[in-house]
Amino acid sequence: MLPRDTAFKLSMLLPLVLLSAYFLLLLGSQSAFFKAEGFIDQISRADILSAIALSLISATVSSAIAVCIAIPSAYALARIDFPGKRLIDTFIDLPMVLTPIALGTLILMTWNTAIGRLLSELGLTLPFTLAGVILAQFTVVVAISVRMLKSTFEQINPRQEQVARLLGCSAFDSFLLITLPLAKRGILAAIILTWARAVGEFGATVMVAGTAKGQTATLPSSIYLAMSMADLPQAVTLIVILIGISLLVLFGVRLVMERKS
Amino acid sequence: MIRVEQLIAQRGSFTLGPIDIDLGNSSYLTILGPSGSGKTLFLETCMGLLSPQQGQVWLDGQEVTRIAPEHRLISYLPQDLALFPHLSVRDNILFGAKRRQLDRTQVEKRLNELLELLELREVIDRKDVSTLSGGEKQRVALARALLPEPRLLFLDEPFSALDATIKRQLQVKLREINQQLGVTILHVTHDQEEAFMLGEQIAVMIRGQFRQVGDRDDIYYRPATLDVARFLRNQNIFDLIVENVLPDGTLQLGNRIGITAPGYAGAERGQRLAVGIRSEEVMVIRPNKPIGPELQDNLFQATVEDILVFGGTHTLCVKLRDSNITVDVELPNCAMRDLGYDIGDDLQVCLRKRSLWTIPMSCDPSTKENVHADL
Repeated sequence: MLPRDTAFKLSMLLPLVLLSAYFLLLLGSQSAFFKAEGFIDQISRADILSAIALSLISATVSSAIAVCIAIPSAYALARIDFPGKRLIDTFIDLPMVLTPIALGTLILMTWNTAIGRLLSELGLTLPFTLAGVILAQFTVVVAISVRMLKSTFEQINPRQEQVARLLGCSAFDSFLLITLPLAKRGILAAIILTWARAVGEFGATVMVAGTAKGQTATLPSSIYLAMSMADLPQAVTLIVILIGISLLVLFGVRLVMERKS
Repeated sequence: MIRVEQLIAQRGSFTLGPIDIDLGNSSYLTILGPSGSGKTLFLETCMGLLSPQQGQVWLDGQEVTRIAPEHRLISYLPQDLALFPHLSVRDNILFGAKRRQLDRTQVEKRLNELLELLELREVIDRKDVSTLSGGEKQRVALARALLPEPRLLFLDEPFSALDATIKRQLQVKLREINQQLGVTILHVTHDQEEAFMLGEQIAVMIRGQFRQVGDRDDIYYRPATLDVARFLRNQNIFDLIVENVLPDGTLQLGNRIGITAPGYAGAERGQRLAVGIRSEEVMVIRPNKPIGPELQDNLFQATVEDILVFGGTHTLCVKLRDSNITVDVELPNCAMRDLGYDIGDDLQVCLRKRSLWTIPMSCDPSTKENVHADL
């Protein structure tokens, strides 16, 4: 191999090695506070089990709603020309650039408007409720879902839908029989990433639903609570659980992506 | 079968039309034109994938302009074939029949016919369409389009990605399909050989309009406009003026070069004409050979300026001695070997009168755009 090629490869590999070392340092630094024998006791505690269950349920529901809304929205952005499309396309990205705390604040303020008060009267209250957690997570993750799915739909050849139309499919049939099956892996990847982001969501959830133990405390907000009470072993246990879940999910995404390619 | 009246469609800043055409049952029309001339847009508008701004599309006497694509019974084979990668070969072929809920026995019969005709028996049980070769994919897509017995088959440059041998085989197959199955075909292509080989009728589309619709000889030997002539690689085009109209209608033309050309209705002295001749129609007169009566006119002494060698032909670029006008002369390799011309050699050429075409500048829509300056 030419010396220049080696130098090029090294210059690309070095940042990767440094980044991996940094992440290993972050993980390794927890080991001093992690007690394997106390781990089982910790995760059997009712408040921790509740945080795990709440995180799993809220992330599943919010990401399911987000993907269900994102599929038609992303398809519309990818395929249909309509006035104001560019504006809406930019607008949809807003939750990705706004800090989750700001998003949470916006949700709370919306619940102080006439529409919000009406929804509250209809029973959709947000503070210290599961609905609040789900709405906060949905607001943060839906844009990621739209963005991923828009790119998936854009990669599908529109001619396939057109040919299906001419072979007897209505627009809706062509979407169901051709577009959705072809977008299957992209949709799966969007579900996994949306879910992973929802599980880790903290800022908006705390602003909207608070962190009541056993009620609205998710895994991330429980970590915050544990740290604020200087309970490092509990915080580390929760972090290990979150890391475990996240690694499983990211591994799943990688598998899906590799099969896609 | 299909009639299009005053069809106008728009995509971005490009306008298609107005277009009028009327095609009968079992006919084969090739739409020939350069890239970006609006050929695909025309097909899309006829298929109902794009709403026209104006005009009407009729199929079998029924107006279908506002009818959804799935109700038009048109099959479509696009350039990239658009096979469904998540379906097996069989499911791809049967897709239309299933959607249209056709009679199973009839479908099986038709499937067997098509498998035979398109030689697809060996691949019908393949699960993954990506394992097919280019030619097999083409035939599978064709079978998928033909299985629901469409009223019309629209082909959009279907062979552009294939090598020459497979392309020729499929072109022959397509002619068989048109003749055996009686399907009316609209075939878009920019390949002139393909258009002339397959099309009973040829429509030349340039800048969103059919500049000329006619049979092979009309299009090849009698281009209606200058941009059609240029697109069909007419290299020898002269800017001439009518100097005299003889009693038999023959025109005597002049302007740098004097030519005798066949007349046309409405020819007048002083009229400006574009006159052309295909390079393969220019005759090289062999020295010391008697000249027949039809070669007596338009004889010119010339000198070979350049020789371009193609696969089976040579093109001599010859300069006419008295006018300094350059004319391309195409000779098959065997003739070139016999004549043995080299650069600088003198020869005599004839721009045979019956091979000349004429286009009055005042009648040519393309001349208003850019032609005067180019001639």
